[in-house]
Amino acid sequence: MDLKTLKKQESKRKISKGYMWALFCAIFWGIWYLPGTVVWVLNPFDEMYATIAEVSGDGMSLVVTAVLITAFNALTVMLALMLWNGVLGKYGELGRTLKEFHPCSKWFFLASIFGGPMAILGSFIAMGFIGGAFAAVAGLLYPVIGSILAYYWYGEKISKRAVIGIGIIVLGGISIYGGGLLTELSSGNVPWIGYLGGLMAAAGWGIEGAIAGKGLDIAEPDAGLTLRFLGENIIWWIIIVPILAILGFPMYSFAFQVFEPLTMLILVFAGLTFGFCYVTWYKSFPLIGVGRGQGIGNLYGFCAVIFIFLFFGDIPDWTIIVGGLLCITGSFIMFTEDSSALETLRGE
Amino acid sequence: MTQTAMAMEAYNAYWANSFLPAAHIMWMVLILMLAIVALWQARTFVSKF
Repeated sequence: MDLKTLKKQESKRKISKGYMWALFCAIFWGIWYLPGTVVWVLNPFDEMYATIAEVSGDGMSLVVTAVLITAFNALTVMLALMLWNGVLGKYGELGRTLKEFHPCSKWFFLASIFGGPMAILGSFIAMGFIGGAFAAVAGLLYPVIGSILAYYWYGEKISKRAVIGIGIIVLGGISIYGGGLLTELSSGNVPWIGYLGGLMAAAGWGIEGAIAGKGLDIAEPDAGLTLRFLGENIIWWIIIVPILAILGFPMYSFAFQVFEPLTMLILVFAGLTFGFCYVTWYKSFPLIGVGRGQGIGNLYGFCAVIFIFLFFGDIPDWTIIVGGLLCITGSFIMFTEDSSALETLRGE
Repeated sequence: MTQTAMAMEAYNAYWANSFLPAAHIMWMVLILMLAIVALWQARTFVSKF
């Protein structure tokens, strides 16, 4: 076997692993919706929501409660990532990446700003002021922004076939949440802040992916992602939660009540799924590129519907089935792309 | 703080219509299984690339 054939074989293996990680991301992201949904009805979050809603209204209460849930989610994600890095023997690499702020870790801290407060908070604002379906559709548009940024910023190659695949997956996602979206948008006055939240979600995750792609040129994804969540924890626990407490929201009184076995158990599983979803998302970027990684990751919309159907018993509408078929078609178009087109991910 | 009866009722209601037996436990078992498979794949990946 000559060197060229060996190189081609190696590249093919890397690409198939890249798609595998992106698929893992979609599955973990989809199943995250189970703990991510049920945690809202548990104490102290249900009481926190009711207490703040009495004073500040439902929309504001949803956003503030979401901040506390997201902050705890970020904490349990760190635990999951420490487990991940421990199993892979990456603690040394973690320390090395943290020390190299200028070439490496600055990108991951920057990614945490866009992925954390901008995207997640934006998503919750969209959910609170318009509705869950709108937030989901807005979030699904992030690969469009991610792949455009990666193309213009550092010349990541994106083939026509990948563009078609990503487009079909986005259309599938829109079809999945389309019914709810129309109901929400036709329900009357839609506040502009809800649209701003949707834009923050799509732009935040798209920009995060592009920045991560840049950081992953020189850093390792497992360590890089852990630093990204270290940054997110700093943002929530040292900046946003204290600011909300100063503004008069009862953040700390409810935060201290979280140490209840069932609530903690749900938060640990939320952290495990979210952490593993994110780390597999980051692992896919250097192998198949930001655009494809985000495109396949977008299958989370379809995975969420399947897990919600199986575990909550919610029977999906026909629009969801059509959306699911579109998602599968889009993924198939991307999976079957000739691997020689992916031998180098960057342009000349 | 312990869970109130209302909170537990709302929590249990989520799993009540599931198509799977013992869904309130099975979802955690599924996540643990997926996590183990992902970790095993990650270790294989580290050793091969």
